[in-house]
Amino acid sequence: MAAAASVAGVAGFRGGSANRVKPESLPYAGKTVPVAVVKADSYSQDLENRMREGIRECGLDVRGKTVLLKPNFVEFDPKTCINTDVAVVATALEVFRSLGAADVRIGEGPGHRRDTYAMAELTRYRTEIPKFDAVFTDLNRDDVSSIKQFADRPEFFFPNSVMRADLIVSLAKMKTHHWAGATLSMKNYFGLVPGSIYGWPKNELHYIGIPTSIVELTRVFGPKSFAIVDGIVGMEGNGPIQGTPKKAGVMVMGSNLPAVDATCCRIMGIDPLKVGYLQTAADRYGVIEESRIEQRGERIAPLRTDFQLIKEYSQLRLA
Amino acid sequence: MVSKVSADGTFVSPYLKTRLDALRAAQNADGGWGYFPGKESWLEPTAYAAMAFAGEPEGERAWKLLSSWQLADGSWQTSGKVPISSWGTSLCVTIAIGRNEWNDPTRKGVQWLVQSAGEESAWFQVVATKIGLIKGRNVALKSWPWKPGNSGWVEPTAHALVALKKASVKWPGADLRERVRMGEGELADVRSSDGGWNYGSPAALGVDLPSYPETTALALVGLQEKKDLGGAFELASKMMLDTPSPLARAWLKIAMRLHGMNPPDADDAASKESGKNLDKELGKELSKELGKAKGDAMVTAVEALSAVEGNWSSMRTAESSSTGARG
Repeated sequence: MAAAASVAGVAGFRGGSANRVKPESLPYAGKTVPVAVVKADSYSQDLENRMREGIRECGLDVRGKTVLLKPNFVEFDPKTCINTDVAVVATALEVFRSLGAADVRIGEGPGHRRDTYAMAELTRYRTEIPKFDAVFTDLNRDDVSSIKQFADRPEFFFPNSVMRADLIVSLAKMKTHHWAGATLSMKNYFGLVPGSIYGWPKNELHYIGIPTSIVELTRVFGPKSFAIVDGIVGMEGNGPIQGTPKKAGVMVMGSNLPAVDATCCRIMGIDPLKVGYLQTAADRYGVIEESRIEQRGERIAPLRTDFQLIKEYSQLRLA
Repeated sequence: MVSKVSADGTFVSPYLKTRLDALRAAQNADGGWGYFPGKESWLEPTAYAAMAFAGEPEGERAWKLLSSWQLADGSWQTSGKVPISSWGTSLCVTIAIGRNEWNDPTRKGVQWLVQSAGEESAWFQVVATKIGLIKGRNVALKSWPWKPGNSGWVEPTAHALVALKKASVKWPGADLRERVRMGEGELADVRSSDGGWNYGSPAALGVDLPSYPETTALALVGLQEKKDLGGAFELASKMMLDTPSPLARAWLKIAMRLHGMNPPDADDAASKESGKNLDKELGKELSKELGKAKGDAMVTAVEALSAVEGNWSSMRTAESSSTGARG
């Protein structure tokens, strides 16, 4: 059952759904975008101020907006660190409320497990985030609305909580990924796709192609997104589930998801220009060239800590 | 430990009563259930609730809605708003046969299931496998996908096996029997090394993946007549006590009952061990459990099915095809 999915994922690298247009006419051609990198040595040390600093550096204004925080809790294994840490999610909830958002909710649609609330318990979200049930939506089983055209699908459904949010905050985990190279703020949006229609796992995305799906999710939801990537402790090796913890000691933030993910890649010792979905998204939906990312906060070079790569992705290593 | 729930003299336990009461309160005006109270009706929670209320007015209203969702090709759509053929067609066929509706709509549903298969069994995937482009699967087998055009996975395969085995009582075609054989073979093929099942991938990049309680239970539901399942029930019993998931516990109870076993009840065990008054403790546990599910109608319906006097036998495939209402 898994083999077909993995082949579909590999097949997706051949393409992309974007039309062939002159590079100079692409929406982000020649533009610069800001990305903030803040140091965070642990989940207990001044996380709130660190997060506020990054958001301020990016000039994000959330006043009056309905905000959906989208963490990554795809699976649970007590031996490793698959999910966005609960401290990051709890802090984001408080920070966005205090910045004047009209409403802040948390939503996730885990890719493998049917009982999302049990997953939230295992990941300690349910026990450590105050009134979790009142602010959480299981995106796998929310009511839905459709959009026209998603990759080659003429119609595609998404949860109403996602469609109605003014701002989606991709609270991603900094991880390597055995089918995509790296999973960061863009790949995190697989959890926006409802399992009630597309199943567990969301195999429709594998058949569309993993890189193509990542880019399409960015096309659709990137314009109303902000990313906060939890790289305090990430995952290296055989991610996104079976890898090992890797401390990077950072949070990476910004409104342009490809730029945030490209910056994360550089911190992880991965060349973003070689990551298929980032190549496809470049200049269409964001910026990935280092010279056009306006770095705010910490400099990347001193923070670089090479994440171990599986042999299939060894060619992604940044020079 | 029992309380009267209806005027017809049917007695049910507090465990079942709380769940049926919660479901009654959450039924939509159209006869269906959303995944959560106040939400739009979807096939999956409506089908499980219809099974839980088999033979009762709530179940009749639910079936009326579900019947209106059958598509021209025989499949059932995912919800009133989502006109995509669903794996839940299996649940509707199971309900229809439980109602003794051996009619054209049910036959069309069965035919759709017989023809439905994971995309991995499409010719190009078979060819790719034979020339070595795809590794790690037996393309001689066929399973069922969540939706057409996708690969087959454990949960939809388990439900399709239940539906087709029940259908085989009166419609024992060779095609149907062959699909059952291949479906059972596929479940055996994707079993995890720990003896259970996850969503359908026993390994990734050569590394074993662990099983999950809910999918282990569902695979056992699909494999009811199989006797050579060594180790699976020891694992299921352990999972029952370990998992924090009420959904998983409910499916594990159903699976064990269908295999003629008495499931260990984690909540009862916890209450007994605590030495506290069982009634009081159980009442607390029941409230906690319902709260845990946040009024989750799907989980509540599966829990209702799983109760010892619930309609878990609606998924029985071995002896009778009749659902049989409680009492």
